Amino acid sequence: MALLTLEAISKHYRQGEIDLPALKQVDLSVEPGEFAALVGPSGSGKTTLLNIIGGLDVPNQGHVWLHGTDLTRLKDAQLSDFRLFQLGFIFQAYNLVPVLSALENVELIMVLQGRPSAEREARARHYLSLVGLEDVMLRRPSALSGGQQQRVAVARALAAGPRLVLADEPTANLDSENATALLDIMHRLCREEKTTFIFSTHDPRVMERAERIITLRDGAIVQDQHLNQTAYADHN
Amino acid sequence: MPVQTANSSSLSMLLFMAWRNLWRNPVRSLLTVSALAGGLIMIILYSALLTGMTRQMSQHATEISTGHLQLQRQAFIDDRDLYATLPWPYLQQLEARHPEMHFAPRLYAAGLASAENTSTGVMIKAIDPLRERQTTRMLEHIRQGKADFAIADHTASGLPRYNLVIGAQLAKNMQLTPGSELILVTQAADGSIGNALFRVAAILKPLEPNFDRMGVLMSIEAFQQLMYLEDGFHELAIKLEIIDQLDSAQVTLIQQLAAFTHEQPLEPLGGDPIIRNWRQLNPAVSEMLELSQTMMLFVGLIVISLASMGMLNTMLMAVHERTHEFGILLAIGMKRRILLAMVLFESFLLALVSAALGSAVGSLMTVYLERDGIDLSHYMPDGYDWAGVVFEPVMQIYLEPTHVLHACGLMMTVTLLTALIPAWRMARLNPAEVMR
Repeated sequence: MALLTLEAISKHYRQGEIDLPALKQVDLSVEPGEFAALVGPSGSGKTTLLNIIGGLDVPNQGHVWLHGTDLTRLKDAQLSDFRLFQLGFIFQAYNLVPVLSALENVELIMVLQGRPSAEREARARHYLSLVGLEDVMLRRPSALSGGQQQRVAVARALAAGPRLVLADEPTANLDSENATALLDIMHRLCREEKTTFIFSTHDPRVMERAERIITLRDGAIVQDQHLNQTAYADHN
Repeated sequence: MPVQTANSSSLSMLLFMAWRNLWRNPVRSLLTVSALAGGLIMIILYSALLTGMTRQMSQHATEISTGHLQLQRQAFIDDRDLYATLPWPYLQQLEARHPEMHFAPRLYAAGLASAENTSTGVMIKAIDPLRERQTTRMLEHIRQGKADFAIADHTASGLPRYNLVIGAQLAKNMQLTPGSELILVTQAADGSIGNALFRVAAILKPLEPNFDRMGVLMSIEAFQQLMYLEDGFHELAIKLEIIDQLDSAQVTLIQQLAAFTHEQPLEPLGGDPIIRNWRQLNPAVSEMLELSQTMMLFVGLIVISLASMGMLNTMLMAVHERTHEFGILLAIGMKRRILLAMVLFESFLLALVSAALGSAVGSLMTVYLERDGIDLSHYMPDGYDWAGVVFEPVMQIYLEPTHVLHACGLMMTVTLLTALIPAWRMARLNPAEVMR
């Protein structure tokens, strides 16, 4: 059974008197454990599609099924709960709460989930170690590099135990070295934690590591390629 | 999916985040705290000043002359009827039954006073100096001379010449000083013209505008000789040891007087004996005291509302700068009501810090001023007159701890209500839009 199914998703934005189509009749199915990239030029609808999958935006037409739940039928508070327990988010930049340390940022989402204090701290430390930040977990975001901040965001997204992690251009603000390191971590965690990743990008380095590349153009999926990344996975 | 999403951990995390967010821009937060704390200090000082004045006012209304309760007959209240007296045995019986109270009998009459060059109408008030001193502080308010009511000397014809005490303005108008002679002419109780020569022993400080202008104080003995009125007294001022027992003491005395009149009936023309408390006797003062509470609330609301505008500006700026951050929090699953609570917590903490600082500084300043009061005697040696009450030249300051609590509560409420505006705006954010 597919983890995520999109049925005829359409979305348009109104700008004055003009309707701007962002997505046109998009159908998509994602299996558990996939490491999929949404690619396409700027304005092709990648972010809109991720927002709709994440319940941050509502389609004008169509349904989003995630693990058997139709997100388009959920109310605002139910969507918040759904995001809190089922989804992880990694954004392009300014991901973290600046007044909290790396450890507290990772714990925050688990506080909202109502997890006990000891479990929160143990999980936060575990995931920060997995992304290689065990030495800087008490630092605030302002004392971390861009790459380290994105790794904290990865740890935060995974520590909450989501079924699906959505990442919107996670490497856009990173240099080559940091971008590669981040992708390696995400891919490794995808395999080890059996978590599904969907990320938007137009960075060729990211596409190289994706197991599936979904290409969007003008709000429609124009190509959907499943790649064999075994060699890459084995290498890592 | 676990059902429980908000618990004590969420609350402490929210408070923790709110506290840290407060100090993201310390200069801005400190300016806001200063404005709120300054407003609170002003309210505390104003409240202490007003409380001091109202206490002075109520003390004046009770201690200087009126007493806590007064007993008079209805005809005396209505028309100042000279014959509406209460018999002396009433006083003795009351004193015997209530050793915990003090009683000061008084008699009144109108007359004409003549000095060397002038004459004027006066209001004669007769007192028992010993009992009066136990009941009121009237005789402590002497500006010049000594409150002596004894016989000064005898006239050539052998009649006693009594001392008396006069009001400040009367002394000024008639150019009298201690030692001056004063002739009083009046219509005595038997219809004859009563007149006598007196000696001014002392001049009172300003007490009450009418009495200052027309008041003449003498002993009951002197009054009886002048007026041929020996049957009783017109008024009985009563002082209680514990002012909180005012209402119950009034009820008790009313019941006892009913028993007295049953045992010793009064002639009907003078009417029933009436016991009134100081609030009934001075309704203007009583209303002024109530009005002062409303004034305090009104002024407090204005000051705090103005100060909270500063806080509104701070919070609007603070949340405006952080819309992206709030969008992230909503995206990762924070509920809107929790976000609203977080912004309100920030305002709450800001108000709490301001309340702690403002109440500490305000209380310390008040305690310092409370010690000596604000001395205006250099500018107004006789005090000042406000709402018909003469105040002493030293303005009393009195810190009522409950007023500090009320002021803090008022400030917290107003600031939290003000904070609802930015909090509500944030809680309605569309995360997808703010992160675009």
